[in-house]
Formats: sequence, structure tokens, C-alpha cells
Amino acid sequence: MEKLLLVDMDKCTGCKQCTLACSLTKEDLFDPKRGRIKILKKEDIALGIQLVCEQCETYPCVASCPDGALSRDEATGIITVDEKLCTSQGACVDACIYHAIQLHPETKHPMFCDLCGGEPYCVKHCVPGALLWVDKSDEMIKDKKKLRSARMNMYRDLKKEAA
Amino acid sequence: MYGHQGKILHVDLSKGKTWVEDIPEEWRRLYIGSRGINAKILWDYCKDPDITWEDPRNIIIFAPGAVTGTTAPASGRTSVTTVGCTTGLYLKSNTGGHWGAELKYAGYDHLVVHGVASEPSYILIEDDNVEVRSAKELWGKDIIETDALLKKWHGEDSRGLYIGPAGENLVRASSIHCSLFHAAGRGGGAAVMGKKNLKAVSVRGTKPIRVKDPKKFAEIAEEMRENLRGDSGAQGLHEFGTAGSIAAVNEMHAFPGRNWQTGYTENVYPISGQALNELGYLKRRVACFGCTIGCHRYSEIPKGPNQGIASGGPEYETFGALGNGPGVIDTEGVLLANEMCNRLGLDTITAGGVAQWAIESYERGVLTKEDTNGLDLGWGKIPELLATIEALAYRKGKLGDLLADGLKIATGKVGHDSYKWAVINAKGLEQSNVETRSAKAYALAFAVNPRGPDHLMTETFAEFGSSPEAVDLIEKLTGDKKWASSHFTDFRAEIVRWHEDCYEITEALGFCVFTSTAAFGVNPDNMTRLYAAATGIEMTEDEMMLTGRRVCTLEKAFNITRGATREHDNLPWRLMNEGAKSGPLKGATNSQEELNEALDNYYTLHEWDLKTSWPYRSTLEKLGLKDVADHLDKHDLLPVE
Repeated sequence: MEKLLLVDMDKCTGCKQCTLACSLTKEDLFDPKRGRIKILKKEDIALGIQLVCEQCETYPCVASCPDGALSRDEATGIITVDEKLCTSQGACVDACIYHAIQLHPETKHPMFCDLCGGEPYCVKHCVPGALLWVDKSDEMIKDKKKLRSARMNMYRDLKKEAA
Repeated sequence: MYGHQGKILHVDLSKGKTWVEDIPEEWRRLYIGSRGINAKILWDYCKDPDITWEDPRNIIIFAPGAVTGTTAPASGRTSVTTVGCTTGLYLKSNTGGHWGAELKYAGYDHLVVHGVASEPSYILIEDDNVEVRSAKELWGKDIIETDALLKKWHGEDSRGLYIGPAGENLVRASSIHCSLFHAAGRGGGAAVMGKKNLKAVSVRGTKPIRVKDPKKFAEIAEEMRENLRGDSGAQGLHEFGTAGSIAAVNEMHAFPGRNWQTGYTENVYPISGQALNELGYLKRRVACFGCTIGCHRYSEIPKGPNQGIASGGPEYETFGALGNGPGVIDTEGVLLANEMCNRLGLDTITAGGVAQWAIESYERGVLTKEDTNGLDLGWGKIPELLATIEALAYRKGKLGDLLADGLKIATGKVGHDSYKWAVINAKGLEQSNVETRSAKAYALAFAVNPRGPDHLMTETFAEFGSSPEAVDLIEKLTGDKKWASSHFTDFRAEIVRWHEDCYEITEALGFCVFTSTAAFGVNPDNMTRLYAAATGIEMTEDEMMLTGRRVCTLEKAFNITRGATREHDNLPWRLMNEGAKSGPLKGATNSQEELNEALDNYYTLHEWDLKTSWPYRSTLEKLGLKDVADHLDKHDLLPVE
């Protein structure tokens, strides 16, 4: 059964367990800056917004890369970086409409969530249930998009406010 | 280094100098981290009793735990240690939020601040770059404004720790705030920062934390996380916050009201976690760094003239101290008082404690309008309560100045037996909202607490037996489930002793004490294994618990240098002499006789002298504290064996 990741901002307490879990499973250490999932935290309104690759259908990151270093798996939507080609221009960071891409603090290559090959490690760490790994269905796809819109609307509001 | 970053950052405000030291390897085994190593540093620098809280030689130490910054659940807490302003004794206060983890990512386990700055200053830490900067633009600003300016200057990802106007004005009820709404609240640590002209510490870090055995570490962290996921106490804390227990505590006639004159309040619902959820005040459930429980609240008034006023909390203690205590059985009334304390940088427990005392003093005619800035104080009067809080933070008028020095000094000034309704003990701290007359382990824990009578040096929540996990723990400690009732005086010393050690190692590692002494997913066994996986330092569970005992003894020794004896281990006059008004233990007190028996048992378990309450040389040496014994010996502070 195909699965998908539901990401619910309203249930997020901003604890960053997901980010730390990600840096642990990917690199054997703890560093919020190396998480493929990031929590944008606004302390003054006690808000946490999860930002993570959505394996989206338009994938503007791939086309934006001047090095041609990004490729996408047709079946899973997962983006892969060819580190030999990547020259860390950061075009993908700006191109991502879900603000999900960060450059690795050491290698400076972009980091993409790969859903841990079908068993996302972060989900186990999210006790409040803000991250859920559910069976894919039309209804769940709709839910995922609804939750994503809510996060992106909030993100835009915050950026507007900051500007 | 594994687990710890291995570095102590020192900043001397007098000399404008900073330096970094390695944590001695031995300390990681003897004191573990955070509260434990802080106690050792404070002893080394400040054991001379001439160093009062306001002396430039007093230091203030901030430290996340040995596993802070990892996936160990709820391990993001920070201990703050100094010579306290309220009691003049040892002060450890502990805060949640996200600042401590950031300090660790900047590469430091401890920040030690020495001296006094010549002008208002703040410390900026960005990895190896450490600067003391002018805080001219921050001085006078409230907590919200201060955080906003620091983030504007140093980035949205920077994390702040700061004091508000109350700390600047050396108010004993002031609290050190962290990530806006979290606080090292008790004991006036913020006044120590104020005295040092230190407004804030802004931190940003980029250094990863490594553990010795990542696979094993992850397994043990998962065990803890799953324990907590299934723990009824942890679930309740997430759903309703700390204030979720108020209705149950009230049913036990143990929810202090009207300055501890009542333990039961009709219709307590408006000041409960359930009301926040159900009446539309709860905006979000919030977690400290790395916490899977998420007990913190962010609440907002949704409509009416105060629409849009929002803040962190209120917690159980705040609904007690600023709600039931002053008789404000009104959700919005407490939200307003709480928001004001969070903004001005006040500890809601002490702010509420002094306000209740003022109301009762006014009611008795001991204070008049001339003393109260013209306020007609009374139970349940919200505008008067808010005006009192504002006066307190700014030392406004006669009332503000009187209350700002805390009840130990205020009762001395006012006289007229006003100490009898000041809910402080001999050490001088305002008691947190636990009805110790019907909770006998709490009573002992509060009496011996080195910083004064409250629940945040040793929580003995298990004695209520209010969850299956709590009952199991009491059975383990006493041999029988039947002792899981707070009304018994039997085995209370044993219960306190175990909790003291467990609580200390919990804090040393950086865990929230709710994980091990309110919920029970984290325990000495899995903490010992986790510490080994994190650092490579192998110990037995008994050796780990012994580090807790070592630190508790060192904290005790610190107070002995300040003249503390058995007489300081007592409870507020009201609770020792006036009977509880209602409930199953109606008429019960924390009498001197009852307390004496508990203290004897407790000192015996510690191997301390019964007459003075002081540790013997042999006790100290057994704990590896020979240098402490020698120092006490030199000053005639060792009891005869």
C-alpha cells in the first residue's frame, strides 16, 4: 500500500524532535540545521510551522538548478542531488514554493527529505501526532493538500508581517 | 566530546573579559551536568559567606543538561544557579524554553557570569564570538519588547534569556525569562542579573552534538518516549496543561485559597486547564525544546474588551497564586494578571504570594489605604490585583516598595504579627501552591528544600497515588501500595530521599522533572543507561543516584556557610499552627512535633546530625566531598560525631 506524510501545523508544539531525529538518522549527530524537515518557530506567538519536501507535482527546484544537479524519481517524487554536479548556487532554495530546501551547513548541498525509503524516522518521534504516515487515498491526498495550504498561508502571513 | 560539549564559558562583566575552560573529566562522573556542575562551580567561587547576592563576586551560572539538544524526550531544560536574592542562600532555578539547547549548539555546557557591568549590558553569544554589548536600548523594556529587539538585531533564529523591569528594579519576585514565556522564576535570580546590570543573553549556535553510541542512545530515547506516550500523567499534561489537575486537587481540599485560609473552592472550574480548552482561550499547546509532552499553553482572550491579549500559560501555580489565592475565580482575571507578570518579568508564585498577604493585611487593618497606594484591596478584586502587580514590578509607591522586598523583609517592617499570615518559611521564600498540611511528603520536602518551601527542588507527586504509575513507585519505595496517600506520615522521609536524588539527576541530564516525578517514563535506570550511551561513562544505577545525593549535600553545605541550621528547615507559621479548614484532614497542621519526627528520619537517612542538621565529616568524605568537609571544619561548621 502506498503511503503519504500528513503534516499538521495545528498539532505541532514546536519541539523539534522531528528535525533532531532526522539529523540523527542521516548523519549520526544532533543538529537542527541538518534536519531535512525544519520547524520555523515564531516564539512570540508560540507557533511552529513544519517545512519539508512535499514530493510535489511541479518540482520547480529541478528546472531551477543551473547545474542540472537535481533529478526526480517518477514513482515516489523524491528529489536526488548529484553532489558531483552541484555547485551550491542555491537556486533551488529560492525556487521551492514550499520553502522546504536548506543547504547543508558543511557541504553546502541542498538537503531533501527522502521519506527514509518508506519509513520516515521523524514520524515515530512526533508524539502529538503532527506528523502522520498514512495509507494513500483520495481523501488523504485532499487532507494533505488542505494541511499544506494552511501552513503556506501562515508562512506567507508571517513573511508579510516581517516585511 | 560526547554528550557534553565540554566547555564552560566565563564572562566577567567588571573586566569585560571572557574565557573558556574545559569541564574537568572528573566532574562529569561526580556531578553529571547542569544543576550538579553548577553547584560545584558556585561552591568553588562563592563559599565565602561575605559574598551576598548583591556582591560583585556573586556569580550566576546558566546550564543546559548533559543530554540537552538531543532526541532524549523533554531534555531541553536549563538550570540557573546563584546566591539567591530572596533568601540570601543557595538558589537553583530551572527553566524550559529553547535557549539552553541553543547555548549548547553554540558549544557551551555552562555560562558563568562574574562581576558587575558599568552600564546596562547584554551578552551576545554566536558560537566562538562572545561579546558584552551595551543594553541602553533594552533597559526599561518589557520582556516582549526585549525579545523582539534581540531578534531584530541577531536574527529570528536567535534565542533570548532576559529580565524585565521587575528584575531591573531588584524586585525579589522578579523572574528570569527564557524564550519569552518560560522562566527560571523562583528566588529572585532576575534581581541578581539586575544588580549585575545584565539585561539579557542572546545565543545562536551551529555546532552539532554528538553522542558516543548513537544507535544505543536512540534505542533508550525511544524507550523513554514510548513510556511517556503511554503514561497517563504525561497525556493529561499535554491535553490540559499543568492546570488540568486543579479540579482534582480542589476535591482533595488541597487547593490553597485566600492566602491558605481555605483548601476548597466552590466552582473552581473557571480557573482550570479544562476551562482554557473548553471556553475558547487555548490557542496552542506548546513544547520546550525536544519535549514530546508539550504541557505549556499559549492562551488568548477571544472576545470582549480585552480581546487579543495573549501570553504563555497560565500554569497550575498561576491559577493558584493569582487566582484562587487572591480569590479571583475568573478565567480572564487570571489571564490578565498572568500576562502582566510575563510582560514585566515577575514570578507569578511570589507575585501572588505577596499580593495575598497584602490583601489579608488590609482586611485585618494592619495595612491601610495609606500603605496601599490608595487601593481598596480585597478578595476577588481584579483591577486592584493588577494595580498591585504593576506597583510591585516598578516599586511604585509605598505598596510597591514594601512588597518588592518580599515577605521576609515586609513582615519585619510592618510588624503586628503579620508573619503569621505570610506564607513563607524561615528561609524566606513564598510557598508554592501545595497544601502541605494534607501532603506530608511534600511538607518534609518543602521544609528541607535549600531554596525555600516549593516543589521545584524535589517533587513528591507520587505520594498522591493519583495514577497507576505513581502507586507502583510508592510500592517500590515503601514496600506497600497502601502508603500511596499523602495523608500518611509513615515512610515520608524515604519517599523524599529517593525523589531528591532522582530529581537532581533528572535536572543534571537536562530532563524536565515531569518526565520522572510527575509522569514516570524516565527513571534512574534508563537515565543511567542513556548517560552511558551519550558519554561513554559507565556507571551503575546506584552510582548515578549517588551523584544526586552528592549534589544535594553540597547544596546543603553551601547553606551551612550562610548560617543555616535545623531551624531553617521549617514551614510557614500559618501551616504549622492553623488547622486546614475542611476536607479529610480538617484541622490538620504541619505541627512542629510532626515535622520534627519527619526531619529526624530524613537527617538519619542522609547521615546528618539531628541537632544541627549538618552533615558529618564521614558523610561528606563518603560522598567524595573532603574539601567541603575541610572548609566547614575550618569554620567550626562540622558536627561532632
